[in-house]
Amino acid sequence: MSLGLEQLTPCFQGILPSMFFTCAQDGTPNAAFLSHVDYVDATHVALSFQFFNKSRRNINENPYAMVRVIDPDNNQGWALRLKFERSETSGPIFDRMFLRIEAIASYVGLKGTFKLKAADIYLVESVEQVPEEPGRQERWSPPTRRRPDAVFTMKALQELSARMTAAPNLDQLLESILSGIKEYFGFSHSMILLAGEKPNTLVTIASRGYPQRGAGAEVQFGEGIIGVVAEAQQPIRISGLIRGILYAAAVRRRAEDKGWRPQESVRLPGLENPSSQLGVPLVVRGELVGVLCIESQTPYRFHEEDKNTIELLGASLAIAIQNMQLKEAEEEPAAASPAATPVRVPQANPTKRTGRELTYYRTEEVVMLDGEYLIRSLPARILWKLLQTHQRDGRAEFTNRELRLDKSLGLPDFKDNLETRLLLLRRRLDEKAEDIRLVPIGRGRFALELGCSIQLTEKN
Amino acid sequence: MLDKSLTEFLEQGLAIHIGTRNAALRPNGCRVTAVRVEEQGRHLVAYLPKAATPAVLEDLRGNGQAAVSFARPTDDRAVQVKGEFISVRDAESSEEAFVLGQWQALLGELDAIGLAALTSTSAWLMWPCVAVKIRVTAVFSQTPGPEAGAVLS
Repeated sequence: MSLGLEQLTPCFQGILPSMFFTCAQDGTPNAAFLSHVDYVDATHVALSFQFFNKSRRNINENPYAMVRVIDPDNNQGWALRLKFERSETSGPIFDRMFLRIEAIASYVGLKGTFKLKAADIYLVESVEQVPEEPGRQERWSPPTRRRPDAVFTMKALQELSARMTAAPNLDQLLESILSGIKEYFGFSHSMILLAGEKPNTLVTIASRGYPQRGAGAEVQFGEGIIGVVAEAQQPIRISGLIRGILYAAAVRRRAEDKGWRPQESVRLPGLENPSSQLGVPLVVRGELVGVLCIESQTPYRFHEEDKNTIELLGASLAIAIQNMQLKEAEEEPAAASPAATPVRVPQANPTKRTGRELTYYRTEEVVMLDGEYLIRSLPARILWKLLQTHQRDGRAEFTNRELRLDKSLGLPDFKDNLETRLLLLRRRLDEKAEDIRLVPIGRGRFALELGCSIQLTEKN
Repeated sequence: MLDKSLTEFLEQGLAIHIGTRNAALRPNGCRVTAVRVEEQGRHLVAYLPKAATPAVLEDLRGNGQAAVSFARPTDDRAVQVKGEFISVRDAESSEEAFVLGQWQALLGELDAIGLAALTSTSAWLMWPCVAVKIRVTAVFSQTPGPEAGAVLS
């Protein structure tokens, strides 16, 4: 029995390793494991050329090869007889393979250490069932039908869009996106990162499904799947994440044995051991608004046919978030002259601490709370301004407009994203300091609510 | 050729494949259920499922060239043994427990990295086997990385 290559796309997600058989010109056979075989079209696959190993040398001498893959849907083994055609060092196939390798490598601090030399394109001369690895037929779906676990449907996308449309502000928009992704797409673990204050950084603004919300966690461009997605502005789907990380870790150990020392490992927010990750760039007119990251403990969730829906999802989220950012920035009250209002100190609660010590480090622009890191950069400057104003004047209510006009905060003149920074600050306080809160009280207005006394110290 | 340490590694229950080639230098290959190291490491017996493609045995009988690749899924440590075909026989029922013991150990390795559900291989035909005896001629490291291919023995 044989099938067309296009019906075997689940085999090419890297969940289960493949075997690559070649032969040298002198007749010596070679068998080697491959981490990934990439589907190119109905008659071609691509293999990554990372190291000039024996398999690759054999292909230079003798272009014929055989690769064995396993369909993760039903465990049917397939043998593909190949003939080498060409190596590509640029273009969409190369880029896709490069991003996948970079994203996985970054997990073990190896990014940039072992590069993809080329995407080797092979003609598939035949596809045959592996006789000793028959699949369980009851799990096989007819190739013309979507698989039972298909999640990225147009219907789900439409339902998510409808929910997003109803959100009145950025806070609720982000919540509606993440709750919708759980409800309509079935993913319990997701996060949204938006462009950070510093160039080439992203900052976590909302998450769902994790013990720690991680508000304020930063990711540099190029670090981990999220950073690689941001840098390339291309979505990345990785289904065999554990296998890929193990492969990269093996490379790292070998490199360390040879005297190489790793760069600092980056710990991404998220599941400890995700089996699948999807990173979606949120891009509007070429500008990166942020990145949506979805994780799953199931090794196999993303299908080839999901690609277009995922790109549509990224585009619609990006537009919705950017529109909301612009809308909130324009929604300032015309006249903002807040009256001096005493802070509403709640009834004393003996179970809560009565005093908080906050320290602002001017040089690092970091606020520490009782000796622990709270927040940095613009949200830190805003918080410090609010706390100082409260302590000096007794004011509890503030407007976005007065912050925007306050030169001491150093907001950029263009696209200051003040509302996003305020939301980040609010979420960070909710997570780390429940007795220091910022509460929205109307368009462009919010209140500082303190459930404790505070002591402010400023240091260089 | 295969010392005590390598023998223990190879016989622990790994993902194993054998690669061969035909007269036209076209590669063939199939899965190996288990291996046994014999003759103080000079010989290797590879247990190939009887259901596997007959092309592999035809190649071995035709030109004798073999490459057996071993990998441990939990850390990707990998070794390749090159060798020359000596003989083939049906595996005996007394060998079944040894052979399937290695296969079960491999499934345990896959389970350890979260692939148990995906690698439910109840339909795979890993037994009965033929026992292919190979004379070991070279051993190489195949652990991924720039040093893959280094001679071990």
